[in-house]
Amino acid sequence: MMPARTQAEGDWQWPSAADVARLAAALVVAVLLQTTVAPNIRVLGANPDFALVIVVSVALIKGSETGALFGFLTGTFVAIALMEPFGLSAFVFVLVGYLAGRYAETADLSAGFAPLLSAFAATLLADVLFALAQFLLERQVPFGLFLGRVLVPSLILNTLIAAPVYLAVRLWLRGAGDLRVARAR
Amino acid sequence: MLTLYFRESDSGPAHAVQGVVLSVVQPLQSGTARVAQPFRNGWNWVSDLFHAKSENGQLRVEVRQLRAGLAQQLTTQDENAQLRAMVSLQKDPLFPKALQMVAARVIARSTSAWYSTVTIDAGSNAGIAVYDAVINGDGLVGRVTKVSPTAAQVTLITDQQSYVDAVVLPGDLKGGAQGILAGSVTGDTTLQYVDKNAKVQVGQYVMTSGTSGRLQSVFARGIPIGQVDSVGRQEVELYQSIAVRPFVDFHKLDVVQVIVR
Repeated sequence: MMPARTQAEGDWQWPSAADVARLAAALVVAVLLQTTVAPNIRVLGANPDFALVIVVSVALIKGSETGALFGFLTGTFVAIALMEPFGLSAFVFVLVGYLAGRYAETADLSAGFAPLLSAFAATLLADVLFALAQFLLERQVPFGLFLGRVLVPSLILNTLIAAPVYLAVRLWLRGAGDLRVARAR
Repeated sequence: MLTLYFRESDSGPAHAVQGVVLSVVQPLQSGTARVAQPFRNGWNWVSDLFHAKSENGQLRVEVRQLRAGLAQQLTTQDENAQLRAMVSLQKDPLFPKALQMVAARVIARSTSAWYSTVTIDAGSNAGIAVYDAVINGDGLVGRVTKVSPTAAQVTLITDQQSYVDAVVLPGDLKGGAQGILAGSVTGDTTLQYVDKNAKVQVGQYVMTSGTSGRLQSVFARGIPIGQVDSVGRQEVELYQSIAVRPFVDFHKLDVVQVIVR
């Protein structure tokens, strides 16, 4: 059974069954897009990070705690699907989900560029953390390559896909409640 | 009137009256027809449009079906070509014989710049184990680095932690120059630790050597890897640095075969 932490007791409550179902579907789509579609889209030598942008979108719509949980699950499942080192993506996506959610909870999102700005910042944070992790794992991380072939192309690509992905996620989760609608009440 | 008309000749009064009336009505008919022509055309256009619309819908369905059929045919052709290439590679006299193969399909790829790995849809249930070599119709793809019952992770030879014992062919009387093919973070592959005095030329073939020092390599001898792209010799260096262009297009990996031991 779900823990009964109500809105009266705290700021957050467990999502409803419909919410969970929609978030689960979004999670599956994020993992599939990231592992099967993204590798085929190569622009400027980089691939778009659909999973990251979907985590950012969910966090902007549903808040920091749901964003962090969704980020953790997305990172975990992407790592499972690619049989990559376990936990690194989950850690990075937790941070991204939480910070994007906090931004949505504290800032005024009426300006339309919030998803783009969030995707840009999330990509910057994720790429730096991934590169740092590679460095700690004693793999080669040439700064020039990181900047020219990883960071700049992925910043451009992820910012470009942020608007359509955010709109699609918002459309999909709208029926399951919206953070900004909840805040407005 | 009817009997009169049929009984009289063509010059009879009934025919004459008909002629006169017709000559009066005909211009009216003609004018009316001319005025009505655009309306008739318009009506026909609208009618044709509706007809064309429904026909368009049918044709769209037909085009969609044909496209789906074509896509399926092209996919089958592509798979057929890949499988033929694999069979042809295995028939090559240099290719190692009596190897047991397991066919698999690439189901996911890492988009990380730091890892060059793919996931295939066959694992330990199919007899695949860690360190098994993976090939496709063009040559060596990589080796298995992780295995689950139904899937396996393949680290490509372009990964920065990939090392393959390789030999440059054709060699001289002493045999081909041997070295270790290493991947890099940029995705380039270089043959390292090649004796500085060994003669290596651009265009020569690079294959798995099958030996790692005195030990047997995890890669069977004779699997094609690529061609020498450039040779760098420096007086101060102990070894030559040889850039190798792999035969495999790693962005188009689909069907592969795992050499199980």
